Amino acid sequence: MAIFDTLGISGSGLMVHRKWLDAVSDNMANVNTVNPYDAEPFRERLIVAQSVDYGSGEGGVRVARAEFGGDPQGRVVYEPDHPLANEEGYVRYPDIDMGDQMVQLLMAQRGYQANLAVIERATSAYQAALQLGKG
Amino acid sequence: MTSPIGGIAPIGIGAVSGVAGAQTGTPAAQGTDGFAAVLASSFDRMAGLQASADGMAAQAATGDLKDVHDYIIASTEAKLATEMVVTIKNQAVAAFNEIMRMPI
Repeated sequence: MAIFDTLGISGSGLMVHRKWLDAVSDNMANVNTVNPYDAEPFRERLIVAQSVDYGSGEGGVRVARAEFGGDPQGRVVYEPDHPLANEEGYVRYPDIDMGDQMVQLLMAQRGYQANLAVIERATSAYQAALQLGKG
Repeated sequence: MTSPIGGIAPIGIGAVSGVAGAQTGTPAAQGTDGFAAVLASSFDRMAGLQASADGMAAQAATGDLKDVHDYIIASTEAKLATEMVVTIKNQAVAAFNEIMRMPI
């Protein structure tokens, strides 16, 4: 438990939300990634957060792991003109919902901003405490 | 002249042991040098924070910085630690001056 603990704890929250943003941007970037019918499509990336106990640890949160979401089969689309299409004319698109990704983007952004606000408030609180000694 | 300095030591320990002692875990506050040792350990800690902030600044300049907020937090921490050490120093000097002004 360090003296400016709040900053470190909020920093871990920022880290998790930054990784969440990374995952969402990865999903968004690959929303139109086409794979052949026989191959596995791009899988939606999900970030699994895990709290760090403040009592025994340093507090905050960390990314436990990244997991795959969405349908492992993806979306099978009939595009006979596509160069990756099989004999029947099918390709695989990833099973990523744009609306769901936008909501996740908003949540990650707001969470990031909330942690930044905590850092700002904690900094001014610490500075106010130091003002005690300047009277 | 030595008795006023001896009078400062408990003030310094009381002011600093709650922060530097709890932080570093070292029994510097109980050392024989009293306030000087505490102030020195506080300066060491402050120098460490400033060094890590400087390292992050270099990373930001070279493009190796992965998280922007890490640098901001490190610099904020260094700033706060500096302000704290300066405040404690000012308090100790004020106490010392107060004692020196004591009419004997």
